[in-house]
Amino acid sequence: MEIKILKKTSNELKIEIEGEGHTFCNVLQKALLEDDAIEMAGYDIKHPLTSNPTVYVRTKGKRKPKAALIDAAKKMQKQNNEFKKSFERALKGWQRK
Amino acid sequence: MVEIEVVDKTDNTIRLFIRGVDVSFVNTLRRLILTEIPSMAVDDVVILENSSVLNDEILVHRLGLTPLTTDLDSYNLPEECPCQSEFGCNLCRVALALNVEAVEGTRTVYSGDLVSENPDVKPVSDRICIVKLVQDQKVKLEAYARLGKGKVHAKWQPVSMCAYKFFPQIKIDGKLCDACEDCVKVCPKAVFVKVGDKIEVRNVTDCTLCEDCMDACAKDPSAVELTWDKNAFIFDIESTGALPVERLVRESLNILDKKLKSFLKNLKKVK
Repeated sequence: MEIKILKKTSNELKIEIEGEGHTFCNVLQKALLEDDAIEMAGYDIKHPLTSNPTVYVRTKGKRKPKAALIDAAKKMQKQNNEFKKSFERALKGWQRK
Repeated sequence: MVEIEVVDKTDNTIRLFIRGVDVSFVNTLRRLILTEIPSMAVDDVVILENSSVLNDEILVHRLGLTPLTTDLDSYNLPEECPCQSEFGCNLCRVALALNVEAVEGTRTVYSGDLVSENPDVKPVSDRICIVKLVQDQKVKLEAYARLGKGKVHAKWQPVSMCAYKFFPQIKIDGKLCDACEDCVKVCPKAVFVKVGDKIEVRNVTDCTLCEDCMDACAKDPSAVELTWDKNAFIFDIESTGALPVERLVRESLNILDKKLKSFLKNLKKVK
């Protein structure tokens, strides 16, 4: 997953993520928008076959957009782990039935 | 807080109740299961003889769509295999041979006639019809199965069905409802039942959220109120048999984990 920076200012960041699509970008956007310090977050896929998605983040100014992206990804990791544990527990519960 | 409950499970199907996550997460899981989990499918075929009525291309297409049991741990994706060979090696390719001739009368060629070099990679069912032969017709070929992903071709999808819906919530206003049974008649999933002079909700999980019950109700406002919980889902997965269902969920979570790790690593690198 190569990342290219397309635009960078103190409160804006636009990156291109190689080889990803809605699968990854949609959860990322959702995780970003849960952050209060973020003014705007979105992604765009110009063409589903030929282009890579671009993710755009704009913060309210106090926070670095890159740090917000890292935090969002970490939050997703946490949720993923929680889901994993929950699923294993649910499976055990079913086997006991 | 993520809460999951396994409501129903067989070797190939699972029904989960999931609470405490949003749509985008569940949708990502669905998309990962459909497009990113590798499974085995016939990719290259060498036809030595085909005197059946089906053209080579159609025969090969049928072979490609035959689901095969997958051994994910012993095989590599062709693009990630160290051999980097167009023809593949023992770590990224499985050969299956088919040699059937209708000697006496007509003969149906089934998936069970495929002879695999690895007993762990074979057709999920022996009873999938591939082609019918009349007397003296013959099919002789060698098929090469490889791992692949559903986003490249649907033959590599490990699931025949993978879908979720919001958890339905149905309320009947006892003061408004006069038990006219309009909603009972109109509901395609038989969610409502008349008990005495009251309408009761049974099988809430069968509800498809079509809202026909609300439209059918003659009262204004409708005595039936249908809503759905935005953070609770009914998630159904049906494996083709390529991989066990619980493995599919685990794999999808692992793939997301890998993506996130790679994203974090690369993001920290760029300036």
